[in-house]
Amino acid sequence: MALLELPAWTTLAPALLLALTALVLFIIDSISPDAQNSGLLAGTTAAGSLASLGVAVWYLLAGVGTPTVDGGRGIIDVLGDQFVVDQLALFFMIIVAVVTALVAVASYDYMEDHTYQAEYYSLVLLAATGMSFMAAANSLVTIFIALELASLPSYALVSILKDNRGSVEGGLKYFLIGALSSAIFVYGISLVYGATGHLQLENIAAVIEAGEADPYGGLLGLGILMLIGGFAFKTASVPFHFWAPEAYEGAPAPISAFLSSASKAAGFVIAFRVFTEAFPVAETASAIGVDWTLAFIILAIVTMTLGNFAAATQNNVKRMLAYSSIGHAGYALIGLAGISAGGGELVMGAAMMHLFVYGFMNTGAFLFVALAEYWGVGRTFEDYNGLGRRAPVACFALAIFMFSLAGIPPLGGFWSKYFLFTGALEAGLIVVAAALVINSALSLYYYSRLVKAVWIEEPVTERDGLSQPVGLYAAIVVAAVMTLALLPLFGPVADTAVDAATAMLA
Amino acid sequence: MTVGVEHYVLLSMALFAIGLFGILTRRNALMFLMSVELMLNAANINLIAFAFYHGNLSGQVFALFTMALAAAEVAVGLGIILLLYRNFRDVDVTVPTTMRW
Amino acid sequence: MCMRFKLPNVTEMNDWIAIGALALVGVLIPLGMMAVSYLLRPSVPETSKRATYESGEIPTGDTRVRFNIQYYMVALLFLIFDIETVLLFPWAVVYLDAVESDAVSLLEILGPMVLFVTILLVGLAWAWRKGAVQWAQTPRQVETEHNRP
Repeated sequence: MALLELPAWTTLAPALLLALTALVLFIIDSISPDAQNSGLLAGTTAAGSLASLGVAVWYLLAGVGTPTVDGGRGIIDVLGDQFVVDQLALFFMIIVAVVTALVAVASYDYMEDHTYQAEYYSLVLLAATGMSFMAAANSLVTIFIALELASLPSYALVSILKDNRGSVEGGLKYFLIGALSSAIFVYGISLVYGATGHLQLENIAAVIEAGEADPYGGLLGLGILMLIGGFAFKTASVPFHFWAPEAYEGAPAPISAFLSSASKAAGFVIAFRVFTEAFPVAETASAIGVDWTLAFIILAIVTMTLGNFAAATQNNVKRMLAYSSIGHAGYALIGLAGISAGGGELVMGAAMMHLFVYGFMNTGAFLFVALAEYWGVGRTFEDYNGLGRRAPVACFALAIFMFSLAGIPPLGGFWSKYFLFTGALEAGLIVVAAALVINSALSLYYYSRLVKAVWIEEPVTERDGLSQPVGLYAAIVVAAVMTLALLPLFGPVADTAVDAATAMLA
Repeated sequence: MTVGVEHYVLLSMALFAIGLFGILTRRNALMFLMSVELMLNAANINLIAFAFYHGNLSGQVFALFTMALAAAEVAVGLGIILLLYRNFRDVDVTVPTTMRW
Repeated sequence: MCMRFKLPNVTEMNDWIAIGALALVGVLIPLGMMAVSYLLRPSVPETSKRATYESGEIPTGDTRVRFNIQYYMVALLFLIFDIETVLLFPWAVVYLDAVESDAVSLLEILGPMVLFVTILLVGLAWAWRKGAVQWAQTPRQVETEHNRP
């Protein structure tokens, strides 16, 4: 019961710990600005994110954020309802912390010779802080601030290889589209505020439910459309997906992993929260004249199709993964498309499960690319030929990631897609379900192409032995083990996700 | 004639449209930044006008936060533009095309 | 936070007539002065009159001066602190009320702001230690300093 005696703000500890670790890194770097002890920096980062992970898991198990009727300690409001700590928040804080820890460990080798070590790790932690706060943000103000806190370090991280043209170009495009979309997002917030007079999500919902926003239906509708634009940017979905291939390809590979897993998950959590809390489906539809789920149905189909078809035509492995990441954003969007006035817990829970599994398998896949870049083998599928013989462990892990991403049973990626599929059918979205199946089948082609290149094809050139960087290997192996461990653990994860979704939609 | 909230909304929409036009037509990265600032300030006008209209202060306070974030965004953006100039000897956003679009 | 602002009643036309008249006078006075001086002044064309600074420095170069890139760092640090004062403002507005009220303890009102400023100071200290405010030296300057006994 000691937990209950702590002040409410301590429930934000997973996010606060990340922020604190970032400050500690600044202090370490201030003490010895010229030392290049990347071990200490990477270790501190990993320790901080693991602490954040531990606290988040502990809270979730201890019942913080679980509604009291289910035997938990209740959903906790912090700072006058500006933040809320519930199962959804903790679930996504866990994803962010896991990915941050993996990225920190992998970066130890990848960023070995880089000049700006401390800057790199503190930017990673600050971005993770922003993402963690995004999970708990419960008002359009905190959502916007947390979103910017996650975005601004990300721009810098993508372009941190200052002399690498690709890195700078990726960072520039990420920044330009990010700045544009955040301007659109904040304008959307201002319109929603104009129509309802509130920025706090429940208050917005109360005004809409009371029908007081009906005279301003046009403003509200335009505002919601602009908010969707902001979410689309953060989750790398159509129509703001242009940055993703460039930024992921140009960025250092661990950062690509970080952005495509944690940042995407954080984008989805605010989308889930805003649309389930602030804009109740039926009442909003009567105010603006159209159901907002329609927008997500279209976006989901277009995003997954575009991502997968573009991925199938790529020769560059990193770029293929970038497009496939867009495709997976499309899958997760089904979670919002399937929400209806009376239901949608299953489909939203399935989207959360998918993002959770994706956090491991996609991070692992990008970290394998990081490993390949560390070896310097090249970027195309042909360059990867025959790596399996040289580095069997990493390539076995790669096969697990690829098959899980493609959704081969019995791997985790299959189960989350299966739940998405049944959820979509239950919600009556037959077209979306069909698109999901077709796209998954297509994705099998390009994922297995990579596995084939690594294991079956003969190497184009003879290679010397490949080194085994400890940090990168450890991160990849942990990601692979977790992807496999999710098979027996999938039940609890699925239960938590569906519980969280039910609590949101209740 | 009273200056009603709708006038402020019209003003902010005009400002937003000018900013958007600038983004779509200008190729200079600095012009792009300025256009984004215009769009953010359009949102600020809205927020303050609506705060006045609804009689609560949350919009005004949010406008302050938006200003601070806009400044931070400019700081990061200028850094990236600086890198752009160093690597490509230009601040034209259409110049960097080492990767396929 | 539930104060209601009242829009000032400006529907009466008199106010606007006064403003219009003021604007008109404001435009007419400079125009009139320019017109009078144009009519009265003798015309003596001379090339030295066309110089940017008559009997002053002869200007060199362009108006578009490139500043040293090192000002960027200084400007950046200034910008951050300049804008953060904006965030002090809402706090300062409620500060006195909060101190007087019994519902909020001094720690609760002062703590967050102290924390905020502390974080900023950690950032500033870091930037300082990293040499952000240090003027970088040209290779030649470094060399002469190196050769100094």
